Amino acid sequence: MSYLTNPLFGVFLSLAVFMIGQWLFKKSKGFFLFQPLFVSMVLGIVILVILGKTFGVDTAQVYTQAYKPGGDIIFWFLTPATIAFAVPLYKRNDVVKKNWGIILSSLIIGTVVSLFAITIVAKAFGLDKVGVASMLSQSATTAIALPLTTAIGGNASITAMACILNAVIIYALGKQLVKWFKLKDDPVGAGLGLGTAGHTIGSAFALEMGSAEGAMAAVAVVVIGLVDNMLIPVFAHVIGL
Amino acid sequence: MTMKNKKETKSAPILFQMMIYAAILFISQMISSMMPASFPVPTPVIGLVLLYVLLTAHVIKIEWVDSFGSAMISMIGFLFVPSGISLAANLDIMKAQGVQLVLVILLATIILLVVTAYTARAFGWIKQKFGERHAESQVSQSTVGGDKQ
Repeated sequence: MSYLTNPLFGVFLSLAVFMIGQWLFKKSKGFFLFQPLFVSMVLGIVILVILGKTFGVDTAQVYTQAYKPGGDIIFWFLTPATIAFAVPLYKRNDVVKKNWGIILSSLIIGTVVSLFAITIVAKAFGLDKVGVASMLSQSATTAIALPLTTAIGGNASITAMACILNAVIIYALGKQLVKWFKLKDDPVGAGLGLGTAGHTIGSAFALEMGSAEGAMAAVAVVVIGLVDNMLIPVFAHVIGL
Repeated sequence: MTMKNKKETKSAPILFQMMIYAAILFISQMISSMMPASFPVPTPVIGLVLLYVLLTAHVIKIEWVDSFGSAMISMIGFLFVPSGISLAANLDIMKAQGVQLVLVILLATIILLVVTAYTARAFGWIKQKFGERHAESQVSQSTVGGDKQ
């Protein structure tokens, strides 16, 4: 396995599975389960599991030793990509300036309502206290969500999984969800919702819908993190976590 | 025509654009490390706000950051692949209560999307309802202004 520990393996694997994903998505004429990101995630994990079986080591170990060095290089570029959302935001400054009241009030009220709804759903599915606590901060970006989860007694790796799946779900089901819930005719609401639920990927999706949606999603990514930071510790205290 | 084309595609050299991004990230990282542990604000969030403020204040010109930024955003699906694959490290949790967790996360994603979108719509409606009189007076003022011209 030693020659797999070179970072180039992870870089190549990521590119290869994403290319396969794009090819499948195109071939299937856009079948939602063949979203490139979803395909590359499943395919990449399957390959790591197979490699683990072949070399007789734990999958987590294959991940850390063989994939992560290369994966981290690609992951690093998410930081400049995230701040790049200031560009579409600036280009639609008109929408931001006109709607800042709606933006702030709906993100705060929306978060409170969502927190109650998520708690009810999590309890209905039989998650324990740790599980519920790990579900609350998923609307924040990972770097805010993980310390928040730890602070209220959740499991940070479950929250990390939630943050990733949020983005994958929005990327894969975004079109259907926008249609089912009739979000198209309200760019402000659609953009804020997509940014809150799907983070940066949600913002990229919103940007494809329109420049106003994209700008609103970028605002949501920033503001929701700060709102969660302030509200979630209080909320966790109130529901007795 | 060629003149117009040139003007539209005018953007700073790519290395210069990368330098701007690097400078902003560098400063953001310093600010982020000064935030208290109880209120963490990550580098990308600070960077986004900082770049937006500098653009709005016309300290940074849009052509200094536009084309590189758009290229990065168009790749974001790919840049997320390592995060997706990182779930391979947590397959134990998935085996133990994976179905439950995935279902709750799926529902939570939909809740966040729909609740936020509909709350914004409700506030938009309230603003329209209560701002009507104000808006009407503004409209009549602007028509008067238009007549003058």
